[in-house]
Amino acid sequence: MAKGYKYAYYPGCVAQGSAREVEDAMQGLARVLNIELVAMTGAACCGAGIMKQANWKLQAAINARTFAQAEADGLDVMTPCASCQGNMHEDLVKLQSDAALREEINEVLERVSGNRFEGTLQMRHLLQILVEDIGLDVIAEKVVNPIDFPIGGYYGAPMQREGACGDDDPFEPSYFEQLIEVLGGKAVRYAGRTQSVGFPSLLSEEESALKMTAAVLSDAKQEGAKILATACPLSHVNLDTYQVKAGKVAGVDTSIPVIHLPELVAWALGCDKNRLAQLRTRVMVIGD
Amino acid sequence: MSVVTKVWIDEGCIVCDACETTCPEVFEVTEDTCLIKDGVNPNDFSEDIIEAADGCPVDVIIYEIAGAEDDAGEGEVPAEVEPEAAPEQVAPVAVAAAGVAGATAAPAGVMAAGEGEDELAAVMNGDRSLHVLFGSQSGNSEVLAATVSKKSADYGLECQIHDMDGFDLASMASMKRILIICSTWGEGDMPDNAEDLWQAANADGAPNLSGTHFSVLALGDTSYEFYCQSGIEWDTRLGELGSTRITDRVDCDVDYDVPAAAWMSEAMAAIACVDDTGTFHADLVEQMKSKAAGDTSAAGAGVAAIVVLPEIQVTVSIFRYDAQTGAAGQDTWACAIPGHHSVLDLLRTLKATQDGSLTFRDGADSDPSTGLMVNGRLVLPGMARISDCVRVDGTLRVEPLAAYEVIRDLVVDLSTYQNMRASSEPWFVGREREGVNTEQAVMGVMDASVATTLHASNDISSQSLLHASSDTVPVNPDYIGPAVVGQLWNRACDPRLSDKAGKRILTTLCGINGIKAEADMASVSRQGRIGTIGAGNLLEAKNAVLGEESFSGRHGKHVWWFTWTVKSSGLLNETILAMQTMGPLGMMKNLPQMVRMSAGFTRTGGPIMRDKQSFLAAVGIPASIGKLPPLVNSSVDNHHEVVALFNAFDKRF
Repeated sequence: MAKGYKYAYYPGCVAQGSAREVEDAMQGLARVLNIELVAMTGAACCGAGIMKQANWKLQAAINARTFAQAEADGLDVMTPCASCQGNMHEDLVKLQSDAALREEINEVLERVSGNRFEGTLQMRHLLQILVEDIGLDVIAEKVVNPIDFPIGGYYGAPMQREGACGDDDPFEPSYFEQLIEVLGGKAVRYAGRTQSVGFPSLLSEEESALKMTAAVLSDAKQEGAKILATACPLSHVNLDTYQVKAGKVAGVDTSIPVIHLPELVAWALGCDKNRLAQLRTRVMVIGD
Repeated sequence: MSVVTKVWIDEGCIVCDACETTCPEVFEVTEDTCLIKDGVNPNDFSEDIIEAADGCPVDVIIYEIAGAEDDAGEGEVPAEVEPEAAPEQVAPVAVAAAGVAGATAAPAGVMAAGEGEDELAAVMNGDRSLHVLFGSQSGNSEVLAATVSKKSADYGLECQIHDMDGFDLASMASMKRILIICSTWGEGDMPDNAEDLWQAANADGAPNLSGTHFSVLALGDTSYEFYCQSGIEWDTRLGELGSTRITDRVDCDVDYDVPAAAWMSEAMAAIACVDDTGTFHADLVEQMKSKAAGDTSAAGAGVAAIVVLPEIQVTVSIFRYDAQTGAAGQDTWACAIPGHHSVLDLLRTLKATQDGSLTFRDGADSDPSTGLMVNGRLVLPGMARISDCVRVDGTLRVEPLAAYEVIRDLVVDLSTYQNMRASSEPWFVGREREGVNTEQAVMGVMDASVATTLHASNDISSQSLLHASSDTVPVNPDYIGPAVVGQLWNRACDPRLSDKAGKRILTTLCGINGIKAEADMASVSRQGRIGTIGAGNLLEAKNAVLGEESFSGRHGKHVWWFTWTVKSSGLLNETILAMQTMGPLGMMKNLPQMVRMSAGFTRTGGPIMRDKQSFLAAVGIPASIGKLPPLVNSSVDNHHEVVALFNAFDKRF
């Protein structure tokens, strides 16, 4: 039996709410790739770049509680959400580098939960796990339904910073493109793949967020992508749910199917064939 | 006053009329270029010519000043900057590591005064090379290595700094003098750039270093268990390989300035007493210290520290744009260039050797107006080493800053930011306050910690670069941008500010084009040091503004209800957040999106109905009323812990 991997699994709120398809795909790909996902049933919301606008220390404390739970099991945390990765990594570094802050939070944390956060774990995104741990060669061997379309990978901004994106280049990343090629697709590189779509302000600064969303979608289309796959379920709300409105606000063509990174991987590995068939139908028959 | 003896126009004029406006007596702008009027004596208009040259956005006005025949317009024109070496092939190449050796002051002529003069002079003859290796995660070790390099001439040493990453361990055997400066990362780990060399030093084939002398400066943090572990390990290992420890290792905590300076004083004096044959003269160390203390001429000359890096192959793609024809595209060159050269060096060389029409802002390395985007990073090109920017596949993409209108090639119109700053008026207007008498005047006083904080929050190398870091700026031309927000916030935090000015600044920050207009701070925070500082300012300003307004308005409600739902269940409740932030009218305007989100299906065929929550939302039950969150969102395990953290850190929710 192939070597197995085990992580504390942090799906993020959206994957447990309006984007449950992420959770479906995660379970499927984990099964095929022999990844053990240890459910973090006590983990709270990471803050999504919004809670810190009220109180950054409160957000750090909430995330310290989540880290402490994983640490107790001796596991690194893995998430399929780039926003969760960016936010939690930022707080992790802050807590690791600021001993006084760590102690202040630990004092409360120990009182309320009996746990302490020592700073020994790593915060990692699914994309890093797939490329750095599982290995592209292993994934290639397990592909049964190659997704042979031009595909643009969307990383988003929160995760693309030094340290938060593993060993990948934050500004000229290639992990997603390498993965797409392994899954049978043609990777489309476009400048907007690390730009923000403004999710933290979608409800409060809608016009800007929609124009940012349209810029990314339009850029991917112009570079030849037929499908967009996103590493961030939060950004998926902008890119998919608000796609039509974004196109109208910005006055550009934004129509393109948008799927989640876990879906792309899971479907190529043979999971949920109906969804993949629907996607093929949309791309090949219906078009944009 | 400088007297201009000659003035001419180089290629690349964009006929912007700025020079003619400044000095119509000399410059005449035609349809496609600018001319110097016939019969004009430049001497008569020296000041205006210099002003016009300063104001030229593409730096094509070149002038000569009397008595400085070879010094055409200080820092003016790329074409006038001599490349450090002539190109050898297609490439703007081989720009000389040769310049490096010349950059350090030669030891010749450094003599010891007084008794023992002959012995000291003898020691300081012959090979005087000093090799400093740094292992650095955050840059502190590299900075200290540069300091050693600057001081080395005082000891008659010729210093070369080496990044441990890529350093050939075998070459160490031939070195007589080695200083190691290494930090410790995480739980006693080597910095990333030192890991490979450390592995090599512990491999079976590690060289015998019996002919070498060394000393180690270890950086660390006493709050970690494995304090200075990396430095300790280097110190031990070099000894095991046969190298002679010239002075004891010094371990430094986070405040390393004082112990590091003491180590330099001892270690450099001692290692400088290793002569050309590799013999250490311990009896001369005190004399060497005296000599170094009394001879500061070399340090005063401002010798630049240069980290020597090997030549690398680079494929450079540069954005080109001609405003007159509207043509845009990319030019690509294949080059071989030393990795330690800057992007600005590369651009200058390309302009001088490949294409004189290539247009970019030139200036001092730290000139804040020279900003560019290199492989997606916002950088000052004079401060960006090629080796730090180039991709693994050797490509280097150079583009203008996306937030500004392009004038030509890499030159952008920075007035967007400058006008935004001017209209926001982040000026200082002080209040009356206590002062102290000094010899010069009565001066105000400020608490040192406040002054330090204010300085740190405004320590931005280029505000125009920071302005370009936000992904919101290109889509919202009314947003004042992260740089202006930061400057306003810095003023707002200044206790010397008058109440009236403070209120005006807060009003600007609270306005719709102030901090609330920033759609995603993540796009700012990822841009290195300026991004970290800039995003820190944005966050503090937003904390303050939302608190000041008691979380009212759409922005306040958005943050408030997001946080509130997290407290109530441990998880975000999207239904409540959307309902409370947008209100019923906003929900109706976004009905298709709301239905999709609450039902949980996607445009690519996800299931519409999945669970109770979807059902409730789909049939229109107003999920925001009353205490529905527990019904819609199940709470996380031990939810009471989340509530307790809220109660400890923020009782407002």
